[in-house]
Amino acid sequence: MGVPAFFRWLSQKYPKIISPVLETLPQEIDGQLIPVDTTEPNPNGEELDNLYLDMNGIVHPCSHPEDRPAPETEQEMMLEVFRYTERVVAMVRPRKILMMAVDGVAPRAKMNQQRSRRFRSAQEAKDKEEEMAEFVKLLASKGTEIDSTLQKKSWDSNAITPGTPFMGILSIALKYWVSYKLNTDPAWAKLKIIISDASVPGEGEHKIMEFIRSQRSDPEHNPNTRHVIYGLDADLIMLGLATHEPHFRVLREDVFAQDSKPRVCKICNQKGHRAEECTGKAKEKTGEFDEKSKANPRKPFIWLDVGVLREYLEVELRVPGLSFQWDLERAIDDWVFLCFFVGNDFLPHFPSLEIRDAGIETLTTIWKENLAAMKGFVTTDGNVNLERAQFILDGLAKQEDSIFRKRRQVEERREESAKRRKLQQENNGDSSSEAKIPVHRGKSERVPTAHPANIPLFAPNDTSEATKKLNHDIVVNRAQIRTANYANKSAAAALKAQLLQNTLSTTTQTTEADSKPTNDQPSILGKRKAELIEESSGTQTPDTSAVEENQDTVKLWEPGYRDRYYEQKFNRPPSDTEFRREVANAYVEGLCWVLIYYFQGCASWTWYYPYHYAPFAQDFENIGELKISFTLGKPFKPFEQLMGVLPAASKHNIPKAFWPLMTDEGSEIIDFYPETFPLDLNGKKFAWQGVAILPFIDEARLLTAMNKVYPNITDDEKERNEMGSELLLFSESHPLYDELATQFFSKRAIEGDFPLDPRVSEGLSGAVRKDPNFIPHSGVTFPFTNVTSDIYGDIDDDQSMSVIYLLPEKKHQHKSMLLRGVVLKAPALNAADKDIIMNRKQGNGR
Amino acid sequence: MHSFNVADYATRFAGRSSNIKRPREITCFSYDENHVLRHDESSLRYYYTPALHGDLSGGYDSFIKHDDSVDEHLDSLLESLIELEKKTGKRSTEDVDFVTWRGMITKIMTVPFMEDAFEMNAVFHEGSIYLEENNLYKQSTRGFQDERGARMSYWGYKFESLSTLSRPWAEASREEIENRSREIVNNKAQYCSIVKTGFGNCGLIIGGEVDAIWDCRPMNPENPINYVELKTSRQISTPNQNHNFEKKLQRFWAQSFLLGVPKIVIGFRDDHGILTSIDIRETQSIPANIKKEHLAQGLGPPPWNGNVAINFTTAFLEWLKSTLADTKGVWRIRYQQRGKQIEVFQVQE
Ligand SMILES: [Mg+2]
Repeated sequence: MGVPAFFRWLSQKYPKIISPVLETLPQEIDGQLIPVDTTEPNPNGEELDNLYLDMNGIVHPCSHPEDRPAPETEQEMMLEVFRYTERVVAMVRPRKILMMAVDGVAPRAKMNQQRSRRFRSAQEAKDKEEEMAEFVKLLASKGTEIDSTLQKKSWDSNAITPGTPFMGILSIALKYWVSYKLNTDPAWAKLKIIISDASVPGEGEHKIMEFIRSQRSDPEHNPNTRHVIYGLDADLIMLGLATHEPHFRVLREDVFAQDSKPRVCKICNQKGHRAEECTGKAKEKTGEFDEKSKANPRKPFIWLDVGVLREYLEVELRVPGLSFQWDLERAIDDWVFLCFFVGNDFLPHFPSLEIRDAGIETLTTIWKENLAAMKGFVTTDGNVNLERAQFILDGLAKQEDSIFRKRRQVEERREESAKRRKLQQENNGDSSSEAKIPVHRGKSERVPTAHPANIPLFAPNDTSEATKKLNHDIVVNRAQIRTANYANKSAAAALKAQLLQNTLSTTTQTTEADSKPTNDQPSILGKRKAELIEESSGTQTPDTSAVEENQDTVKLWEPGYRDRYYEQKFNRPPSDTEFRREVANAYVEGLCWVLIYYFQGCASWTWYYPYHYAPFAQDFENIGELKISFTLGKPFKPFEQLMGVLPAASKHNIPKAFWPLMTDEGSEIIDFYPETFPLDLNGKKFAWQGVAILPFIDEARLLTAMNKVYPNITDDEKERNEMGSELLLFSESHPLYDELATQFFSKRAIEGDFPLDPRVSEGLSGAVRKDPNFIPHSGVTFPFTNVTSDIYGDIDDDQSMSVIYLLPEKKHQHKSMLLRGVVLKAPALNAADKDIIMNRKQGNGR
Repeated sequence: MHSFNVADYATRFAGRSSNIKRPREITCFSYDENHVLRHDESSLRYYYTPALHGDLSGGYDSFIKHDDSVDEHLDSLLESLIELEKKTGKRSTEDVDFVTWRGMITKIMTVPFMEDAFEMNAVFHEGSIYLEENNLYKQSTRGFQDERGARMSYWGYKFESLSTLSRPWAEASREEIENRSREIVNNKAQYCSIVKTGFGNCGLIIGGEVDAIWDCRPMNPENPINYVELKTSRQISTPNQNHNFEKKLQRFWAQSFLLGVPKIVIGFRDDHGILTSIDIRETQSIPANIKKEHLAQGLGPPPWNGNVAINFTTAFLEWLKSTLADTKGVWRIRYQQRGKQIEVFQVQE
């Protein structure tokens, strides 16, 4: 779900779902780093069975980190990925299964969002480059020596898309790393590792869900399996709920815990002095990977316990006195469905629903009030009962006018008081205040007192602090400062040093240079972060660079807004009500598609919502009469997805033969690759909140154009475009080794698929096939030539095995039920916790 | 007349349990809904959690009840063995000293602590003793079952239909699962497992009804099968009720132990036959758990001891084996309520 705010909202509303991860750190003894022995009991109080890694959530921060220098080469990025993954695995200590899933080609429904992110990312990179060029010119004009790293192009994070050479390197790297761990780490002796790389279609987290569902449908699955999923997306919580496995945790970095790290100088990012004392000396690199920058300490991690969330929802959702059987599992499914109205990656959200406006509360209340009248739950195992969904939409439609008006009032009041405060400060004659540009206040939103005191989760982060101190000179020089911040950090550090020495030495004394404008974050992750920051500030005054000139002419708070919306967003006259119906119907299809996607898997690879905007709740009428069905179709091939989501600026990720399609004026699909595109702020304040108006890809035209080029690609490229398989790896100490060695490598070896016996595999079901690239006890070479590592090296005699892994065949609908034999944990909520939930309901005054 | 002394069992049969062989299934059979024998597992049921607060009396009037007054002898068990021999080409009773239904051994096993009367008939044939209930005795001692008694015995069957499925959970439709309470209860359909097991130097073939399976038949037939025994019992609120339950648990344990059924699911109900809770117990740990509980709560010695029951059964079977070896005709094995001995005598030449 592209709504990080959801995560924050959830953890504030249901504080006990969060707990800190207790992590044993490697000890340094006599200058030697002693790795943690993870065969020891898990310090978090229980042993965990399966760990699922949504690898894109590791690859992004490792390849273009926000808070430290980026690795200089892709090979170094891989070592960062190893290091990070190593830490996460050591933290969780999975005992049964480790699944590493990288995003493969996504369903078409997701590609529109991917396309928008990647086009924006390219545009931001371009802006940055231009600014940098300007700055270099400026330095040159002042006769300053120019650090060559300044002119280095920053790494294109759009390479993190299936089918790119980078993803190929990643796949090789992960396989090597897993073999290395299986050969060296005793805690891996009984671990089974599944690698699903970018060549396997499907989004990482959904491949993980497919795996969990497949295991769950096996009668021998242990219903008390302890699952952990690591990833950055807020919707992992939704996915956790959707599995109906109650022992399920989401693991993630505590993004709000910035205060807990030791102070570093905001200018040079080094410890030991404050910004005021900074001499601006560029950091001296120590160690091959700049070990000291790692001293930029480990961010703490947190658990989100889906089991505890289930307890909260049981209290929150319960409706007494129904004519049908109350069923928590189905109530949870309905709630997940309601959350999709407020945000998901596949549909734009309703104009009237925003997390900050208590959108989920609004819908939950409507649902509870209508449950008896609906005579049943809205969804069944991922299928929507549209007649009942109409009740929910009607309920929302009734409130839409007042929601918009109220939102406007709150905004006006906020601006009003901001103005007043500013005036007051000026009247107080506080001269320094003139220089202050309060970008974020960040104080209005507070942690509920029920939140465990030892978790520094929502401490105001230093970004908001930092931005307060922006002084006049920095504003004048903002382009440079910003450029410095965006550049590959090691270059940035050098640049900052130069800035201090040559141009700004007198004016930056009190400056914390990290105060970059939040509307300009460079990466997808940056975008996420920015949204978090924005959310955390609750109220905000637009920063000077926010696109303020852009007037909102739809004016949702004034009568006639529906007509204006359709005129301005869809270019349709008020008379065209039929069109509104079409949009609403497409949206209903979308809701159905999304729900099936989460509960059953992909219903259609080709379906997508063909508009940039959502309709109003009022536009849905008699949707119960709609017959929704999907045709499965097939996923794009990797290069087709690349051509579908990448801008021409990222073409180096695509085989050369295709480049002309993106760049030649005569290309039959040149219209898919606009160099610039309009950004509609859609009533929002910041560029990253706006809607990028990009043309939708016409699949038929794209494929026709590409088919003409396919004969010209190299054999290597052809291979990269093929669909791959998941791999299962395990060590010689696992009983599977002997079983499969006989199966695949003895005299009586047979070809074909071999079903796994869960009593031998220790719980894993499915089938395996010989991996043509694996030879028992062969050597495994460290795959990188341009980096050296004092940890990773060649393995002479591989004591692990790799086989192709096939999920158990999916024969049946998955059912949202608890499995027999589930033993629920002792309740985490006490009477007081439940009271808070109940009373809040009443307090909200219905 | 031969007799086996039952007195002082607690001291005579104390100590480590004698050599027991894990029961291994050799074959199975089904009765279909018309009680027609089928040599397959078509009537095997799959356990899935029942909905709580269900009414165990529901559908009582449409109960399709098997008439169990007819003596079925060992017929279906023997037919299954013949079927098995056809398949394997081997004599199934090689090294087997006893062939019987599970209920017979349960009666013997519970003699020390329950002292309930029984009568059985035994025949020695080609190296094995065939043991079955004396049906006439059973019918004569059964007594009259009143309406409430009939209803209560229905509760047990109803519980089975509320907590099982005809196929594994993943394959069953939501409708099948949610409509279990509306299914007509029919106890003509049965699934039976036939196992080979051993007590001391006695080899046994035992057949018995199995209520359900927990997961599925293991891929490797050498591995144990996770069958489930389903029971209902009154919910416990007084020490006296607990005492009765613990005694009952001995029979549950013995029955499951004999077929190697690893799990017992107990549906607790109130006096009106409303299902109030579910308890899943591991057969293997029942005796030890009772001991532990009694120790922890200062309740004195547990009402029964698993090792004593096993040792007693071993001693008795070994004695019976040597007593009936190479005999002819039909023998009666008789135990009278709270008797001091089990008597064995010939009833037919
Ligand atoms: Mg993902």
